[in-house]
Order: sequence, then structure tokens, then C-alpha cells
Amino acid sequence: MSPERPRRVLVTGATGLIGGRLCEVMALTGAFEPRPFVHATGSAWRITRFPLDFATGDLCDRASVDRAMDGCDAVVHLARGDGAVMRRGLENVLRAAVTHRVSRFVHISSVAVYGSEPAPDSVSEAAATRPDLPYGHTKLEQEHRVLRYHRRRGLDVVILRPPNVYGPFASFTVGMVNTLRSDGVAIVDGGRNPCNLVYVDNLVEAIFLALWRPEAPGQVFHVTDREPVSWERCISDHAELVGVDVPHVTAAELAPPAQERVWRDSLRALSDGEVQRSLARIPLVRRWFQCLPEPAKRALRARLHRWDPVRRNGSPERRFLADHPFIAGQKRTVAHSSEKARRLLGYSAPVSYDEGMRLTAAWLRQAGLE
Amino acid sequence: MQAAGLEDPDQGGSLTIISDIRANAATSGAGARAGSAAGPGIVRIGLIGCGAIAQVAHLPAVLSSPQVELAAISDLDASRLQYLRRRYRLGPIAFRDYRDVVGRVDAVILALPNHLHAPVGVELLSRGIHVLCEKPLALTRQECEQLCQAARSTASVLAVGFVARFFPSTELTKQLLESRFLGELQSFDYEFGSPGGWSPLSGYNLARSTCGGGVLVVSGSHVLDQMIYLFGDVDVTSHADDSRGGIEANCRTCFAATVDARPLRGRVVLSKTHQLPNRLRIVGEHGTLDVRGSQTRSVTFLPSGSTLRHEITAAALPPADAEPDYFKPQLHDFVNAIRTGAAPRVDGEQATRSVVLTERCYAIATDLEEPWCEATLERLARAGPDPAPDPAAPQPPALASAS
Repeated sequence: MSPERPRRVLVTGATGLIGGRLCEVMALTGAFEPRPFVHATGSAWRITRFPLDFATGDLCDRASVDRAMDGCDAVVHLARGDGAVMRRGLENVLRAAVTHRVSRFVHISSVAVYGSEPAPDSVSEAAATRPDLPYGHTKLEQEHRVLRYHRRRGLDVVILRPPNVYGPFASFTVGMVNTLRSDGVAIVDGGRNPCNLVYVDNLVEAIFLALWRPEAPGQVFHVTDREPVSWERCISDHAELVGVDVPHVTAAELAPPAQERVWRDSLRALSDGEVQRSLARIPLVRRWFQCLPEPAKRALRARLHRWDPVRRNGSPERRFLADHPFIAGQKRTVAHSSEKARRLLGYSAPVSYDEGMRLTAAWLRQAGLE
Repeated sequence: MQAAGLEDPDQGGSLTIISDIRANAATSGAGARAGSAAGPGIVRIGLIGCGAIAQVAHLPAVLSSPQVELAAISDLDASRLQYLRRRYRLGPIAFRDYRDVVGRVDAVILALPNHLHAPVGVELLSRGIHVLCEKPLALTRQECEQLCQAARSTASVLAVGFVARFFPSTELTKQLLESRFLGELQSFDYEFGSPGGWSPLSGYNLARSTCGGGVLVVSGSHVLDQMIYLFGDVDVTSHADDSRGGIEANCRTCFAATVDARPLRGRVVLSKTHQLPNRLRIVGEHGTLDVRGSQTRSVTFLPSGSTLRHEITAAALPPADAEPDYFKPQLHDFVNAIRTGAAPRVDGEQATRSVVLTERCYAIATDLEEPWCEATLERLARAGPDPAPDPAAPQPPALASAS
């Protein structure tokens, strides 16, 4: 078994937001020696700024994973990809971790395992998982696989479930800025619900602790910022950075989700008088309509006339889509708590929301996104 | 030796061309003498290094050219060679050792990792094999000079693959500047950047020892070469980048030149982590000239004091439905240089200048400010396992500099 206090850590998904920052902090503090596992070398620019011990390969190739694991004391698994990477890739990393007897396997999951509208008890990790989207299902399946290795093979695994990760290079941050610029986001019903954020460096702190604290193995932890921040504050703060005003709307004013929009838009097209007259000229359509029972005819006529475009502020359409992640997220009422991580790991979330936003703003300025 | 009509790639060999190649073979050693499967006037080409750029750009250009025959391919990776042989139905011309191409080819396209350009290029040029070398020519001025010397010693052609030089927009910009279309020049500004990018199959781009540098080499070598071509002798006045001992992903560099006996200031901003406008902007007393990265066939002129935009193209430029493949004219230029003895559009001496400028940038490099990178480090370090301090161990760079 590798030493209790690991030094050399294999980081999969090292070219992503969290992996990139994790490798940076490891290199700059000297707390660990990262070995970044890189698949697409052209995506590794953040970490090639450091003279690191890179391993190149494909997680779906057992041999390259095995080579990369050789000499490592621990693993942080952050890789994302298609189904093969999420399943076979993870399996290869777990198997290599056992073979090379690493001391710790830290797996980064997500609060998506609770579904898009988490139950109130998901404040803590003890709550039942109820994924309702493919990403949440895949992350939960990964958690089960990781925990199986803990139970059956004795691998010391730790699972971290972060919510929205923000900060420099974060897709949440860039996405928010770009969506605000394109007028795609609004504050819904006052934006009072918690946004569930974690600044990327706070997550790095949790990963550091998970890598060596003896209380961690076999546990699942939420990792969030110290103080809950509302959607209203989060959106407003980002809007201030890019200098745009954010509209306030009610849930009733939102454009319906995509599935519903397909039906609505199709019916709306049919409600157009010109289209109806054209259809009426098709004998088969006319005969089909005449064959319908009278109540069905009445219902269809009513339905076709219901879908008038709703105008808002002179716009021909309602702009804000109910299923946009920054809109749909505002329905989540739960603030996931990282109290367990604080208690067992000594997690402190050292970067406050205000400081995190200041650092994010500095990066946005240099990236020309502010 | 010059022959009329050689600029047209569709024209076949002439007696002049054939005699030129034979004369070259007689004087330049084994490379050009051996083998005679190629038709008269056809240049036998070897592809050394079959990674991403070779597969995407050079191989299609070679296979579509009536002027050359693909006589050899070479790569250390046997499976890659096998794949290429199957895909393009190639004969037994694949070799793991590049030395095996000697005697089979007249010329090679060198698409190896940057650090191998000099040793392999010098060896092949010394054997009289003409070389079209991918950019950058080499990692250092000294290596560049070795390559140029090897080419001179065997009268071989050394061309360098700065494909942007074949964009009509580059030549058009040069013409407009030379005709003083903008009047007195005031400044120039290059901003090129996008997250990530090209993924060389060998991974040589992960380290300074094999790549020679970061974004300044990978993207900037094109910029520096074009800048020298457009503005003449350029010197660097400041260079800041975000390297932490590895290769930089971002840099900001300021340059000074003298054009028409007047000082000209310029700036280059390059990024591999975020999107930039991707354009060259030249400001003069009559207005601004914009050349976007995707704008290979025209330039845009914005007159001073006007909201008009003028799209300018070269008068002789034929219309094109799709973006032309500029690796084809680059190959044609190389072949033309071999056949006629004319200098290639970018020769070794020209390419050396951009390498020298790159060296000067790195020599005066300072750190780009990244407050988000450093501000939290001491707090995060406390979450580490805190191993027993080793007095002999060097301090981590950031904390050492912060203390």
C-alpha cells in the first residue's frame, strides 16, 4: 500500500476546470506532485505552464492507464467524456488503482445525483438519490461502481459532490456571462432560492483533504461555499461585471420547456389561417377532420386558436426559457450543506463568495470577457 | 536555372526541368541519385513524421500534386504507418527509421516534433536532400544556422512551412504598406487566441524541451514571421507571459520597428486559454487596415473619420468557392525552388529571424499578473498532508516568491 500521506497523485480530467486548477495548486504549493493524465494534448495549455510529469493516453485503454498509475500514491478522478469514458474509463482507473495499491481514490461526483429538483432532505448526504437527467444517472452509476471497489476490493475511496463550480475558467461563469450578454437569463420570482455554488479553490481544498485525512475513506461529501448565495445575488453580481441589467420575471412568464415548445410551435403554425386554408384544400385532411366526432372537432378548433404569440416588452416571443439551466436551477429550493466535510475533514471553504467573485472578475478582465 | 511557365503547377516537366533535376542529382549526393521510379520531372517526396499536421495538410497536398510522387513515409509509430498505408493504398514505402528514406527521395517534408527539426534536417540536407521544414525552423538560432549551413554546403533547398505567407491577404497587406496606402504608420496590433487547439499526436507540445516554447512558438511563430515580412527589422521591447517553468499559454509582447525612417510600435497578444479577436490591425494616418485570421483572400480598410468599411482584394485573384488549401501552393513553391534553383518563398535565413526574435522575447520575459492564481495558495497549502519539511528541497516557486 502507498504511504498514508500520498505525494504523487494521478489526476484524470486534468485539462478541465477543476483538474487544471488542482494541478496548478499542487504544483505551486508543493503539497502534492501531480501527474496529469492528458488525452487531448491541445487542451492542456493551463497545466503545461508547469513542468509536470504528464501522462498521455486514453482512459479506455487499460495499458495507458496502467502506465500512468505506476508510481502514484493516490488518484483524483475528474475525467468526463462519452459513455465509454464514464464507464470503461472509470473501471480502468479503479482497477489500476487496486493493482498499484494506491492509498486513496478521490472521485468527483455531482449534486446532480439528487435530480433537477432535489428533495428537501438532500441538505445532507444521507438523502436518497433521485437522478432524472442522463448526467445525474451516469454520475450515480459511477458512485456505485466506486463504492463497490471500496466494499469488495478494499480501495480507500472518497466521493465528493460539488454543486455549480464557479471561478476563473469555469463554464458556469463563462456561460453566465455569455447568457447575460445575450439577454437569455432573468431573475425568476425574486431569485430567492439558493444557487448552490462552490468556488473552484474551495473544491481544491476539499480534494486535498480527501486525499489524506483518515476519516475520509468510504464517505460521500457535499462540497459547497461557506455561505449560501441566492440566485438573485449571483445573477446580479455577474450582470454587474458585464454591465447589463437583468429583468425580473415570474415563472408564469417563462417560455415552456423544449418538449412543450415543439407541440406549441407546431400547433401555433397550424393555427395560422393561411396554413389552415391550405390544409383544407387537401381532400384527405378534409375527410379526416369531417370524420372526427363533434367534441373532438370543437377541442381541436379551440386548441388551434389558443396559441397566439405572447408579447412581452414588444418582443414577439417570451425570451426566457424555463428549461435553460440558469432558469431551471432557480427552482431548486435546497441548499446542500458541507457540514459533514467540515466536521470530518476539517473543510473550511477558505475563499468567501465575495473574494471568489473578485478573483473571477480579475480573470474575466484579462480574458476580455468582462 | 529558370524556365518559363514553371509557376503553373499543371504544366508538366520540360527539358529544362529534367536537366535541372539531373544536374542537381549529379551534384547533391545519394538522395537525388537513387531510384528512378518517378516519371521525368517528378520530384520524389518523403514525409518524415506522420503526425497530425502531416495527415491533415501535407499528405493531401502531396497526393494531389502532379509534380511530386510520394516515395516514402516515415514515423516511429508502426501502427500509424500501417494506418496510412491502408488508408491511402500506399506501396511498401513506410519506414520507422527516417534514415531509410535516403536513396529513395529527392526531397522531404519534415513534420517531426520541433526539437527534431535540426538534427534530422541537418543530416538530410547534408546528404543533398531538399527539405521543406514545418515551422518553427528549429528551437535556437544556433540550430537554425546549422540547418542553413547544411543546405548551403550541398546546394539543397531549405524551405520553411509558414503557410500563412501563401495567403493572398499577406501579400496584399505587404503591397498596400509598400504603396503607402495607409500613409504614415502609427501602430500595429496582433491579437490571436482561442481555447485549446491543435493536438499533436506525439504530445511534444507538452514540454519546452520538445516544443521550444508555448503559444509564442505554436501560434506566434506565424505572427513573428509575418511581422518581420511586413515591417522589416523588428525588435522586442517587452514580453510578459504566464509560464511557471513550463510553456506559456498567454503572452503580451511589445515590439518596435522603423518604417520609412519613422519609429513604429506594435503589440502582440496571444492566448491558448481564451478567445481573442484573431486579427492583425495596422493603424496609419489614412485609416486602419484589418486582416482577420479567417480572411485569407482580402483585407478590410476602415478610413479615418468614416464609418465605411472597404473590402480589398488583389485584382488578379480568381474567385474561389471554398477556402483554398494553402499547403498546395506551399508545396508547389518548394518544388519550383528545387526545379529552378529559385529561392523558396520562406527560406532558412528568413525563418531564422523569427526564431531569433522568439529567443529575445524569452530572454526578457516577465510574469503576467494572475491574481486569481496566487491569492489563495497559502490557505490551500494548509489542507495538504504537511509532510516533514525537507531542508534540501527547493521552495515551491509561487510561495517562495510570495514570502
